[in-house]
Amino acid sequence: MNPVVYGVLFVFLAPVFGGLLAGVDRITSARMQSRVGPPLLQPFYDLGKLLQKDARQVNPIVEPLLLGHVGFMAATGAMLLGGTDLIFVAFVFALAALFLVLAAGSVNSPYSFAGAERELIVLLASEPFFILMLAAICKVSGESSYGGVLNSAVMVAPKLPGVLLAFAFVATIKLRKSPFDISTSHHAHQELVSGLTSDMSGRLLGYVEMAHWYESAILAAFVVLFFNWSVPLGLLAFAVTYGAEVLVDNSTSRAKWQLVLRSTWVVTLLLVGGNVLALFLIK
Amino acid sequence: MGSLVVFLVAFPLLAGGLLLGVRNGNLRNVIVVLAGLVVAGASIATAVTFGNGNAVFFDLPNGLTLGRSLLVVEIVIAAFVVAVGIHYRRILAPILVLGQLAISLYLELGGKTPELEPGRLFWFDRLSMVMILIIGIVGTLICVHSLGYMRGFHRSSPMIKGRRTVFFALLFVFLGAMFGLVTSNYLPLMQVFWEITTLCSFLLIGYTRTKETIGYAFDALNMNMLGGLGFSIAILMLSGQPDGLDLARLTAGPATAALLPALALLCLAGLTKAAQMPFSRWLLGAMYAPSPTSALLHSSTMVKAGVFLLLRLSPAIAGSNLGTLVAFTGMLTFLFVSLVGVTEQNTKKVLAYSTIGSLGLIVGCAGLGSPELIWVGMMIIIFHAVAKGLLFLVVGTIENRFYTKDMENFDALLSRLPKVSVLALIGISGMFIAPFGVVVAKWTAIRAFLDVPGWQGAALLVIMAFGSSLTIFYWGKLLIKVLAMRPMTQHERSIERRVSRFEWLAEITLAVGVVAVAALIGVISERVVGPQALATFKGTSQAFLHVEPAMLVTMIVALLFLPTLALWASRQKRYDMADFYAAGRPVTSAGVMGAALGGVRTVTLRNYYLEGVVNGALVFRAGTVVCGVLLIALLTVGMLAR
Repeated sequence: MNPVVYGVLFVFLAPVFGGLLAGVDRITSARMQSRVGPPLLQPFYDLGKLLQKDARQVNPIVEPLLLGHVGFMAATGAMLLGGTDLIFVAFVFALAALFLVLAAGSVNSPYSFAGAERELIVLLASEPFFILMLAAICKVSGESSYGGVLNSAVMVAPKLPGVLLAFAFVATIKLRKSPFDISTSHHAHQELVSGLTSDMSGRLLGYVEMAHWYESAILAAFVVLFFNWSVPLGLLAFAVTYGAEVLVDNSTSRAKWQLVLRSTWVVTLLLVGGNVLALFLIK
Repeated sequence: MGSLVVFLVAFPLLAGGLLLGVRNGNLRNVIVVLAGLVVAGASIATAVTFGNGNAVFFDLPNGLTLGRSLLVVEIVIAAFVVAVGIHYRRILAPILVLGQLAISLYLELGGKTPELEPGRLFWFDRLSMVMILIIGIVGTLICVHSLGYMRGFHRSSPMIKGRRTVFFALLFVFLGAMFGLVTSNYLPLMQVFWEITTLCSFLLIGYTRTKETIGYAFDALNMNMLGGLGFSIAILMLSGQPDGLDLARLTAGPATAALLPALALLCLAGLTKAAQMPFSRWLLGAMYAPSPTSALLHSSTMVKAGVFLLLRLSPAIAGSNLGTLVAFTGMLTFLFVSLVGVTEQNTKKVLAYSTIGSLGLIVGCAGLGSPELIWVGMMIIIFHAVAKGLLFLVVGTIENRFYTKDMENFDALLSRLPKVSVLALIGISGMFIAPFGVVVAKWTAIRAFLDVPGWQGAALLVIMAFGSSLTIFYWGKLLIKVLAMRPMTQHERSIERRVSRFEWLAEITLAVGVVAVAALIGVISERVVGPQALATFKGTSQAFLHVEPAMLVTMIVALLFLPTLALWASRQKRYDMADFYAAGRPVTSAGVMGAALGGVRTVTLRNYYLEGVVNGALVFRAGTVVCGVLLIALLTVGMLAR
């Protein structure tokens, strides 16, 4: 099948995937806290409700920036599955994330602003990893597109153990899980109130949620790249990673941004840098 | 062809001389605009005449020869530098310039200069064409912009004695010298133009003649003169070699061991001009000069001369240890300055760090050398010249309205100066918003690094990944400041009306240029940059020349997205549609909120500068030391090769 079809399918199906994942997440978290939790489809009901509500907008530029956030996030996934060069996708991915920072930063609220700055820091922390990860996958497989890697005879994961391990670490940032959820919080009593979403309500919050679902689906697609010989195995690996993230989320408290930045850089440098170095030296 | 190039060199020099005598402001405006039109027109005419041709070599028209003219110019330069050195009691620059003069005198009067084959004084190829267009168009726009800027500059700094006749004369002399530099094939000829640009930049940086700027001007002079001395010694060494002073033949292929010492010294010259570490300090000092100077030095000329020379040398040094060391000097400079940039609050300095970083990437590409990497280097030159030139001019305009360069004071720029903000956004999007030209270049570079064997490949990838992520942080902070919106008073709204016609003309033209080069990236790649890259390295693979349509569309959308929506938002009736969240305390949209116990506080929002994690001064020093060691290694490797 033409890869462009996969790209288009991503745009429509990724939110379904992301929403279901959020539903499972909430049920699992609830069970960990000895609660029953909401129904599986609750995130979809929530999104529907958010999108129907009027948004209380602080200034005229927030909404278009958030639409840009969702749009570029969807485009990232579409380009990824649609066969665009993987390293190019890494740059678009960062751009998509940046729009959320700009939306929150354009509001003059101290809470939003702090959230925006912290989101910029986590972007700074995680971006080197994603560039190196995709570069390493290209290097190992000798391919440059998503389909190419999946059809490659080389098994990626066995050659990139360090990168895979680092992925589990860095994914915490992208999934906004504790201890790395420094830019957002779902808990009103904490110092950030709700971080960079403080001034987003109604459909604006809905856009943020949708973009996050796309982001989760993109991460799942990245994991599949590692297990390129078997897509189901890749999805299983993503499920295991996600489960671990939920567990970590429920058992740790938020770290300071300094720790997030330092630890992510060190992990990227040691695990990923070391792995890449080995790739170049051992033939 | 020959007469056009000579016109390009001579006309700006004449215009500069004329401007020296023009004290009337209106007359000066007319002359600068007309001369700018002529220079831009002539550079376009040169490019059109050249067309899509292969490299051409030619002499001065009508059988003219250089004779002793180069020596005369050098003596004048040396005498001037010595006089300035004595006046300000600075010893280093005079020593360096006298060293250069001694070598020239020895070669010229001792008859040691080998005869150059007739018809090979100038060398014009697609790289020269790109440079000519950049200097001719971006350079002259900066001159036009200065007409408006300098008026505001002197209004806001009444203490500084205006010497605008000299200022504009220097701008044009600078342009003329640059035209000569990028078309020279005969190394002694190039060196004379090289020294003229050094001298002009010295005078432009020291324009205000305050104690501070004179110090920075001498920094620039010393460092560039050091590179110039390296250039001279290289010429001395090469004069004994057959075809040694013929740049095109010297760099036709991998250099023999006998040539490496001289090439190492030429690389030194290139690295100083391109402000690579350990020579980055002079470019940062240049930020205290008037903004058009910064724009001219940074975007279109001076620093581009350094990377131009290194790109020229690339085929000779690529693959040798010398080339690898040059490449790592550039790439590490990119990494270090990007890290320092994260901690910088002065907007012009942030732009300077970003510039040094971009130049570092080009140096890295030139040192490693391959068709792909030459492509990357030239692409960055083009995009950087247009987008960064625009940004410096815009920051100059903002600075003259707000009397500050501090990023933190650019708060709510979109509300205060909506049109200027839109132009700034085009510049920032052009420089950095993925995935525009510079990003396409970075992406191609990463692709090329994947094929570099051994630990070098891995190291380059890691440097690239961290370096380019760091740039997201400082551009992101600047964008937040620009895009924030709040209601404005009548007075605040009126500020933008005071921006001069000349500034609008230059900035809008450059903004259109940014969009145009983005839209034409495919044509530029296939017609100009690609053939040049393939000719330089005798490559045949065409794959990298092709820009996918999906990428092109994403690029244009990403480039225009922020400026368009900013334009739309700034035209809305109200900038404050609701109060922001302040933990339930009462707020007004101008940023005043109720504090505890009934007090009232104004909200101040400051960006993060990673205090406690990244120490900018320390990183800068570390980079200087590391790259300094590399530089010593580079020169040693060059010398030992003999």
